Amino acid sequence: MVAVEVERMLRLAEQCLERAKSFIGKNTDPPLPPSSTPVHTGHKASSPTKTGHRRVLSDGGGELSPFLPPEVFQRLQTVEAQNTSKKELTPIEQASRLNQKLKANYEARLARLTPGQACQKTSLTLSLQRQMMENLIIAKARQEALQRKMEERRLRLQEEANRRFAASGGMTAEEQEQRTLYASVLEYEQDHVQTQRKPIRTVSTSSQSFSTYSSLSSLVSHNLHTKHNNEEGEEPHPLVTVDRENSFEDLEQFLTQLDWASAHDSTDDTISNSELPCDPLILDEGHIQELEMRVLKEHLKAIVKDIHIAIDQLLSLCLLSFECLNTASSKDLCLSSIEEAFFTPLWHALLALFRYCSPSLQGSYPYESAVQELKLLVTDYCPQKKLECLVRTLRLICACAEDCRCLHEVDATPRTSAIGADDLLPILSFVALQCQCPQLISECAALEEFIHEGYLIGEEGYCLTSMQSALAYVESLHTGEAQLPADTST
Amino acid sequence: MAAGGMGGKTYSFKVVLLGEGCVGKTSLVLRYCENKFNDKHITTLQASFLTKKLNITGKRVNLAIWDTAGQERFHALGPIYYRDSNGAILVYDVTDEDSFQKVKNWVKELRKMLGNEICLCIVGNKIDLDKDRHVSVEEAESYAESVGAKHYHTSAKLNKGIEELFLDLCKRMMETAQAEERLKGNGASQSASSRRGVQIVDDELQATPAGGCCSSG
Repeated sequence: MVAVEVERMLRLAEQCLERAKSFIGKNTDPPLPPSSTPVHTGHKASSPTKTGHRRVLSDGGGELSPFLPPEVFQRLQTVEAQNTSKKELTPIEQASRLNQKLKANYEARLARLTPGQACQKTSLTLSLQRQMMENLIIAKARQEALQRKMEERRLRLQEEANRRFAASGGMTAEEQEQRTLYASVLEYEQDHVQTQRKPIRTVSTSSQSFSTYSSLSSLVSHNLHTKHNNEEGEEPHPLVTVDRENSFEDLEQFLTQLDWASAHDSTDDTISNSELPCDPLILDEGHIQELEMRVLKEHLKAIVKDIHIAIDQLLSLCLLSFECLNTASSKDLCLSSIEEAFFTPLWHALLALFRYCSPSLQGSYPYESAVQELKLLVTDYCPQKKLECLVRTLRLICACAEDCRCLHEVDATPRTSAIGADDLLPILSFVALQCQCPQLISECAALEEFIHEGYLIGEEGYCLTSMQSALAYVESLHTGEAQLPADTST
Repeated sequence: MAAGGMGGKTYSFKVVLLGEGCVGKTSLVLRYCENKFNDKHITTLQASFLTKKLNITGKRVNLAIWDTAGQERFHALGPIYYRDSNGAILVYDVTDEDSFQKVKNWVKELRKMLGNEICLCIVGNKIDLDKDRHVSVEEAESYAESVGAKHYHTSAKLNKGIEELFLDLCKRMMETAQAEERLKGNGASQSASSRRGVQIVDDELQATPAGGCCSSG
């Protein structure tokens, strides 16, 4: 089993090295040596998201996501980890540096030679080649020895870890991971005897939080992408900007992500499977949004669970490594330092996901449906229709408030919390502001003149009056005093 | 909403609900509209705007009850709510002296803006909390009398006094409307372009006494 592990790790390390080379390429000095920290399964699991993530970015039309793609994130973390530890060159690297120096010397001497000393030149070249070859062979041997030694040590530490965990008979994947982590902590400790709590933060947190981050970032950047489109509402028809042809594609991508996530978390993914075989033509926009929301919520749940598990694991690992910390107060200390390292890179993405999934009424902000309705007021050119639009707006406000109440209260009679004017007017002011239609004031003034008498004391009249009041109130926020929109003394 | 046939006409009255926040105006009106009929009579605007159909001595009456925001910062918006009202229900909380003070302010304002033709009801709500009463019955009743208003005690919680309040108010509003009609004579049957809710079968609006609020378009 260990041989398989090692082989896999080496392969991963190779891949890392190659990727790092291609990214960093020309402008930096020698490519990073493969990280000494064991790369965990999280890395492997992240591969399906990577492609998805790329596509999301390209969908965004070159807009930069505020969240780093997982690969970059991991690279940053690795670099950080290496900066904190002392950087040592491998024997081969040392040899190649030496060889470079030799070559420089050789070139300098060659330049000083006169054209007649051709045979000396040949001998110089030969001796350089010999020296370089020797250096490389020696370095290779040393490297191999070193690697053997390292491997031995790793095995020894692994043994130690195994002994440590031996008490608990069977091995779950979790325990295995814990064991590997423990071994790497021991290793790190041997390398850096002087540092104490740090190794845990650097070694384990980076690897743990990476798997969470990779799942989170792809999700969040997708959300931001769609949300951004939704919110680009400066122009009069913001609804149109949502890319219709993409949304189904996005859904598919989501579902594959869910499949991956649930495979990863071993949570149930019944929704995605039951929904996938549907004919795409049947799904309309609203349905897709609803599906997306459901999938997102599932994701959020899984991620939260992941984070809890990861932190628990880290804490138990920490206590395992430093038994002296196993007191209530030091535990708190441990937890806070783990959380600091763990959450700092994740928080932005996490918060974005939470905000997207928050149980708002419909859409991304409260009373959105009422605002959308009110925006339609200016598109009609008939007072009667405008009034109907106003009535619908106010009714939607009441409906939204009712929905909200149902969300928060388990049992409530309509009497106790029905919307009265005390609540309606402030909400209406908010809706009027969100609507961003400066001409609402003049619209209402015109409507007041042309409203049919019969409607004046009815629902239409009430809605118009409330709208005018709300607008007057909003206006008064500038001047500090409410001005009456219409004179009453006529 | 055209006037009725032989038996009489349909009156349409606008009643505005005034009072500080938390005095229970919303519960009061909900209780009234919910009790007699059922939930379907609550419009989709919930408690902000309610309608009620009544039949009083053979005359049909449509009530439109307008709730207003009680918060102080919306006070200045009152006039556009209460203009053209036939009646006003001014609610205070019997356990809250301040809310009674607010009612007094409203009365002054209404009388100033709408004159005497608006029927005022001063309502002391929450009499189920009588042991915490801070506004004495005598004070409230004598004040109401002094400004030509009627005083009522209600409890929205116990559903006390509410039916009487509205019935009484309707009768008074009908009387006022009828008096108005008589004053204008009853010859012409042509409806004026009145902006008032009451069906007035006359076009001599100028003859209205102290009519500060009747706009003629």
